[in-house]
Amino acid sequence: MDERVTAKKNIRLAAAAKYLANNGRDGLIAASNGLNNFLESNAVYVLSGVRPMGESAVVLDRDGRSTLIVTPAWDAERARSLSCTDLTVGTDDLAAALASAVGEHHVAVPRSLSVGLSLLGAGVVARIEAALGVLPQAADELARDLARIRTAEELKAAEHATWIAERGYGRLLECARPGMREYELAAELYCFTKKLGAEDNFLLMSASQHNLAVRAAGERILDVGDIILSEITPCYRGQFAQICRTTAIGEPRPIVRDKYAILQDAMRAGLEAGRAGTTVADVTRAINGIITKAGYGDYCRPPFMRVRGHGLGITSDRPGDIVDSNERVLEAGMVFVMHPNQYLPESGYLMCGEPVVVTDQGCRALSAQLAQLDVIPV
Amino acid sequence: MRTMQPSVTIGSYTWAQDRLPADEFELRLAELRAAMERHSWPAVLVYGDVRDHSALAYLSNFIPRVRWGMALLPRDGDPRLLCAMSTRDLPAMRGLTWITDVRSGMGPEWPKAFDPWCESLKADQPAELGTLGFDLMAPVLFQAVRRSLGENFMLRRAEDALPVPPERKRPRELTMLRASCQLVETAANAFVASWRSSGEPETAALDAERLARSLAAQDVRTLVSLDDGRTLTPYAGRFEKTAGPLVGYLAVKLAGYWADVFVTAEETPSPAARRAADALDTLIAAVKPGARSGDLFTVAAEALAPYPLHPALSGSVGHGIGLSLDEPPAFRAESQNELVEDGVYTLQVGITDAEAGNALVSAIVRNRPNGAEVLLCSPTVIPGLSEARSPESITPALK
Repeated sequence: MDERVTAKKNIRLAAAAKYLANNGRDGLIAASNGLNNFLESNAVYVLSGVRPMGESAVVLDRDGRSTLIVTPAWDAERARSLSCTDLTVGTDDLAAALASAVGEHHVAVPRSLSVGLSLLGAGVVARIEAALGVLPQAADELARDLARIRTAEELKAAEHATWIAERGYGRLLECARPGMREYELAAELYCFTKKLGAEDNFLLMSASQHNLAVRAAGERILDVGDIILSEITPCYRGQFAQICRTTAIGEPRPIVRDKYAILQDAMRAGLEAGRAGTTVADVTRAINGIITKAGYGDYCRPPFMRVRGHGLGITSDRPGDIVDSNERVLEAGMVFVMHPNQYLPESGYLMCGEPVVVTDQGCRALSAQLAQLDVIPV
Repeated sequence: MRTMQPSVTIGSYTWAQDRLPADEFELRLAELRAAMERHSWPAVLVYGDVRDHSALAYLSNFIPRVRWGMALLPRDGDPRLLCAMSTRDLPAMRGLTWITDVRSGMGPEWPKAFDPWCESLKADQPAELGTLGFDLMAPVLFQAVRRSLGENFMLRRAEDALPVPPERKRPRELTMLRASCQLVETAANAFVASWRSSGEPETAALDAERLARSLAAQDVRTLVSLDDGRTLTPYAGRFEKTAGPLVGYLAVKLAGYWADVFVTAEETPSPAARRAADALDTLIAAVKPGARSGDLFTVAAEALAPYPLHPALSGSVGHGIGLSLDEPPAFRAESQNELVEDGVYTLQVGITDAEAGNALVSAIVRNRPNGAEVLLCSPTVIPGLSEARSPESITPALK
């Protein structure tokens, strides 16, 4: 068993149990659909330390006793070796196992809370409702709130994930060449980061002579003059970290360098603005301010960009999307990706982004080197 | 087999029009439209998510790489495809499907994309709309659908009226499945070869994955055993050496179609491996049109006796395979489905026993009038393994 994981997750379990007791609740049912969305908090992972393969749940009572239920049944042994819950059960019938665990914990469902049931398929939810008689009140923000500040171990893992991402990008610079198909480059990059210990990688990587956005790799053949966009997001011990990079095959037109400098300025402004106590909206305005000052205020909206960054699952996706409507206050220890990625008419879409941790002095990039416009010589 | 779902599927997802041309989808859609006619449905709504999307992919070729997609297919008129992607991503999404009207269905885009389309179907009387894949849909989206439909439409499950995708594969599907089988076989050979030199099941799985992805696989899933085949585990990046046998599972998706294979490889097959291989042969011989899935389970269980079925198989000795890794029917003790001609099935047997050893083997077969055509079969033996592996390559604990 990974003792560091156990120690970390016990903190979340204890905090959840305390929350139940403080709020007069009987128990908590936290569920996962097993889809591992890197933009979502995975409540089962937060409370158990287990990244589930299928639909799964944690039952926690107010006294702090907990049971992890995983599907398929044959995955129980792996789950048990990783989980910090008191019990781990494997099943091929989540609804029935959940009803059994709720009974064994003497949890009254009407006085309980749920997290993540809203992410399960309607068919599974209907079976759970039939098995429990009623669904607990949804408290879908609970897991992401409890885990919103990374622990020291989680931050260390996020830093390591960033290290993997940067090595992965280095591999891209070594391998990418005219004549290669996008999916071949993606295959190399993806497997290279796995070899470095990444258990997953939300990898978008595509190229064009004039990009509209980044997308997943396709069959396109790389050529001189292409701008490769990459969003490299390895996951290490449950911590995703994302870097966004722009790479030219052959020397780019000077105007591309000029426009890229705008994004770098915006990034610096965002890092400076992201002090603990400020809001996400403040950071967004700092980034957009630079881009607006450069004459592209009309482009600070979809489809020319999406968001200026976002939280990173699967522990907690707080502080959420980096948009000017998000008034959430930044707290020291929050981790998210900041990326002033932007379509500009003269250069096409360009990417520039780093995983950051919030401190009292501003956001600190976890990456060793901030994004620059890189060139693959031809 | 259930495997770890990646956060995004990377790989080559372009609509392969040379292999799956538009007329192929017209024919697939014609069957659905006939069902709409029979049930007086003005449209069918087809949902799929990143993990389960076989009906959506069968009818639209669209495979969600994250979140979900939904095809709005009318009996008359033009279809529309909604995807849970931002408007920025739509140009890329349009390259994945024959449907030209592709829109974002995320957040505030939902009512703009869904409501006017449904409005065009509205008649004087409330009508029923067929649904496919709605059991997979998260309650929040389901409620959005219900709100948009209001009192004008009721939803009816279409799965019972028309299995989509059909169990009987179309000619072009058989071609795609053959290609997928070839690719997973190539990956399996790389898996074994890598393990021979490294002794690390995870390194071997990663080498197999890299090769399959470099050959245009859309998705690759692997499970390996770190305890000589007793249990299987998803990739964890631990790179532990094992003495053997090598036991693992590989699944590869190519142009939407999956093929999978179990690998049990050792120099001299254990009693478990021999028994499992014999049971697989017996199972293959029993496949024919009209054979009942439950009877096939019995055949396999008797051939494995006195050993019980390996727990990793979750009580099933096979199932359909195609646009999903796990298509119906499942070959379980209690199931009574009749296998159809040109159905494609993955047959899986295995044993775990403290004395006889552990083994998992499989085959993919096409059901022909005169019996099974084997498209792929597990490798089981590696001659010369002991020469290939140096003692230094094995950890001290395993020597």
